[in-house]
Amino acid sequence: MAVDELGALEKCLGLKGGKYSCKAQGGGQVPVLQINKGPSLSGLATIASYLVKEAKKEELLGASIEEKTIVQQWLEYRITRIDRLASKEDVRCILKDLNLYLEDKVYLAGNTITLADILIYYGLHPIIADLSIQEKETYINVSRWFSHIQHYPGIRQHLPSLVFIKNRIYTNLH
Amino acid sequence: MKLVISEGSPHGIKVLAAAALWAGNVEIQRLQQEEKVVPFLSQPKLPALQLDNGNFLFTTNAICRYLFLSSGKDITDLSNQWLEWEATELQPACIAALHSHVVQGKKKEEAILNIQKCLIHLDQSLGKENHPYIVTDSLSVADVAVWASIYPLFTSLDSLPDNLSSFKSWFKNVSQLEECQKAAESLLKGQGASAFKAFLQKLPTPVLPAEKPACN
Repeated sequence: MAVDELGALEKCLGLKGGKYSCKAQGGGQVPVLQINKGPSLSGLATIASYLVKEAKKEELLGASIEEKTIVQQWLEYRITRIDRLASKEDVRCILKDLNLYLEDKVYLAGNTITLADILIYYGLHPIIADLSIQEKETYINVSRWFSHIQHYPGIRQHLPSLVFIKNRIYTNLH
Repeated sequence: MKLVISEGSPHGIKVLAAAALWAGNVEIQRLQQEEKVVPFLSQPKLPALQLDNGNFLFTTNAICRYLFLSSGKDITDLSNQWLEWEATELQPACIAALHSHVVQGKKKEEAILNIQKCLIHLDQSLGKENHPYIVTDSLSVADVAVWASIYPLFTSLDSLPDNLSSFKSWFKNVSQLEECQKAAESLLKGQGASAFKAFLQKLPTPVLPAEKPACN
């Protein structure tokens, strides 16, 4: 799955497809990229960051030291939290946190789109696809952000577009 | 900036060492227990670094990255790979090993078997590269992150496995740095890993997912 996602990211960055394999690590599958000029790289966040540099789109890794760190922090959140959800309660917990975090933000790090938005979007896609309309309204900031990122040119790739309703139906929330 | 840590949590070692190594002006606040500090996280999550503009960093590796980058150093792809390995594989394995030793009373040698695979991986890589630190000839953020996760299990350096010689000499090197020693001792307070008992008891019993066969 991570390999498909890196394929989508390559397309989105305008790169040719790389040579991938995967190996067992930490109880899951970790993608490995074979690089022509050097040793292989493993791990979703590591490879994704490498691809962005290969495509000469460093701006997607954040401009300042703070933004660079925040981008990497959300990539870590993706691989340690979103990829290891064990229960409904875990799902509620991450959606609640992201919803609060995104309350006053358009993007996860800084004022433009970064790799953090792209990989969290890919990681949340199956989770958001499972939410009811009412749940999408509960996590209104996540929904707004998600809808924005999926319409961002080139990012969605093979993933189905998810539907969000502009006008609230459940007016008793909040 | 302000670094908030929780007394009795093993996660503090990493960030205290990084702050001592790479940042001059960090105010350190020690809280007695896990308190809610980061406003957007519903569960208490410490350590946290509050930046001068009020923003928070909330993972230990992100905090170390920020301090390391702020000191003018660069993080390479290889460092990213080690940090990712530390966060996804090593750290959960070390916490599980600590839990089984300190809370469930398993013998240290048995508990360490939990991280045996990780130690072998580290030993092989250090042996192959033939430089004293994980990614280059000098200490980097990857060394501190990896060292700090393992340290609580080897607080007395004489129990290090003899068959993993590259790991052993690297681990001793990093442990002997004054900044690392001070960071660890300020949390361990001479009690060894049992200083983390109260913290570990509150965790749900860590279950290491069974290894699945590798795909093609």
